[in-house]
Amino acid sequence: MIRIDNIEYSYDDAAKKALDGVSLTIGEGEFVAIVGHNGSGKSTLAKMLNALLVPDSGSVSVFGMDTKDEEKTLDIRKKVGIVFQNPDNQIVTTVVEEDVGFGPENLGVPTEEILERVHAALEAVDMLAFRKSAPHMLSGGQKQRVAIAGVLAIRPDVLVFDEATAMLDPLGRRAIIDIAKKLNKTDGKTVVMITQYMEEATVADRVVVMNGGKIAFEGTPAEVFRRGDELRALRLDVPTMVELRDDLAKEGLINACDALSVEDMAEEICRSLSKN
Amino acid sequence: MPIIIEKLTHTYMPNTISRHIAVDSVDLTINEGEFFGIIGHTGSGKSTLIQHLNGLIQPTSGRVIVDGYDMSDKKQRVKGRALVGMVFQYPDYQLFDSTVLDDVAFGPKNMGLSVEEAKTRAEEAMRTVGLDPEQFAEKSPFELSGGEKRRAALAGIIAMRPKYLVLDEPMAGLDPSGRRGVLETISALRKELGCTVIMVSHSMEDVARSAERIAVMNDSKLYMTGTPDEIFSKTKELIELGLDAPQTARLAQLLRERGVPVPEDIYTNERFTEWFRGRMSNA
Repeated sequence: MIRIDNIEYSYDDAAKKALDGVSLTIGEGEFVAIVGHNGSGKSTLAKMLNALLVPDSGSVSVFGMDTKDEEKTLDIRKKVGIVFQNPDNQIVTTVVEEDVGFGPENLGVPTEEILERVHAALEAVDMLAFRKSAPHMLSGGQKQRVAIAGVLAIRPDVLVFDEATAMLDPLGRRAIIDIAKKLNKTDGKTVVMITQYMEEATVADRVVVMNGGKIAFEGTPAEVFRRGDELRALRLDVPTMVELRDDLAKEGLINACDALSVEDMAEEICRSLSKN
Repeated sequence: MPIIIEKLTHTYMPNTISRHIAVDSVDLTINEGEFFGIIGHTGSGKSTLIQHLNGLIQPTSGRVIVDGYDMSDKKQRVKGRALVGMVFQYPDYQLFDSTVLDDVAFGPKNMGLSVEEAKTRAEEAMRTVGLDPEQFAEKSPFELSGGEKRRAALAGIIAMRPKYLVLDEPMAGLDPSGRRGVLETISALRKELGCTVIMVSHSMEDVARSAERIAVMNDSKLYMTGTPDEIFSKTKELIELGLDAPQTARLAQLLRERGVPVPEDIYTNERFTEWFRGRMSNA
């Protein structure tokens, strides 16, 4: 559904290319995490997905529409919605429900349907109780949920989270990840999650590692997090539990395995203890 | 001298229906030279609390004494404020000049140093945070990546050589290597300048690794203070407060729930490995 073919992109006066020959296909219903250090090109790549940026060379095709075709821009943005890092920059009105309705209203959706969409979107992010609230009175995590609802109200097929959890506290972050998982698993939305937190990448179907405007490597979370040394060389890291897993396995204290989460590790530890 | 916070209460929009008590009778002493962490969920009052430390906002009641200066007194506040450097969560709000060097030199210039001295200090500060002046001095702050902006904002503050360095989420938005880099820079600065560091962070891992003492804020109140050992041995309590615990502490808790007696003070991978090694060889 999204096909990125050998794209290059440079910002105006930058000597280095922000994207330097990236090819990537994102399938329908997939949950893809994109990780990479600051300046690796992952946010630039995100902006390519709904024609906020278009490549200097190569092409991006979204549901068969070329992002360079300006007549298709609006249709592409109805298909692919982006949630950004700073919720304050994404909220435009003074009442939560008006904010969520802003997108569909601009698209000329009839009033009855706007109300319905706003209701469904706020329900999906568990913010219905706040529909009459003023956005500036909400916490960062709540504001970010409103921003997601605003994107959902446009009813896109693909949701891109561009470091949408970076400024949130741990609970706020977990809520956003849970929402992304639910939208993917239950509602069948395609999710592209750009993140600095390796723990968040473990919930994806596929992890793409960016470096220097290129894709360094990709694979399932289990495959990618077996390559700890390579990740560290790219200024990244492995989740805390993977680090522990590797340390313990190296000493032969647990079996070599692909544990990624606290729950996985608890299993492995118990297994070793019961054999001992 | 320490920072002494006495019965500090701060109410936003008092005498209105939107009245909100953001900080509620907090008593806290932060010792000179200490690395002090403050944790708490969003809206727990930690940002409001630290904004009192340089007199950005004034208490509704109670008082704050910084290095012997009472921050409620206008004249003393000026002296106290000069000792406190604040680095905020969004570096974009803190950078404004046309080049990185001018930006970093702004603080020292404002303190009355000559243009030359200010420039020397700015270059020093840039080197300390890992921004090579050769490469970055003439760049516009807006050309920098997120991590570089964060370093530039930090350099602007340390160029003033504050006695107390107050950081609000200094690692938010940085990649893992950037997070380690900023944390190492802060620790190195503290050794070099002997300054007190007060860090608000959402990352339990980072606080567990660097702070000597930690305050936990909850619902506008100071919930508890203690060493990392004392705080992170209360994993269950932290999670119930809507906070997080380091992943390793959560693993230990989960194992305890399954009947494995993991000691309370295990919340880092190093300690976990050591304990598990002992357990496997004794069994």
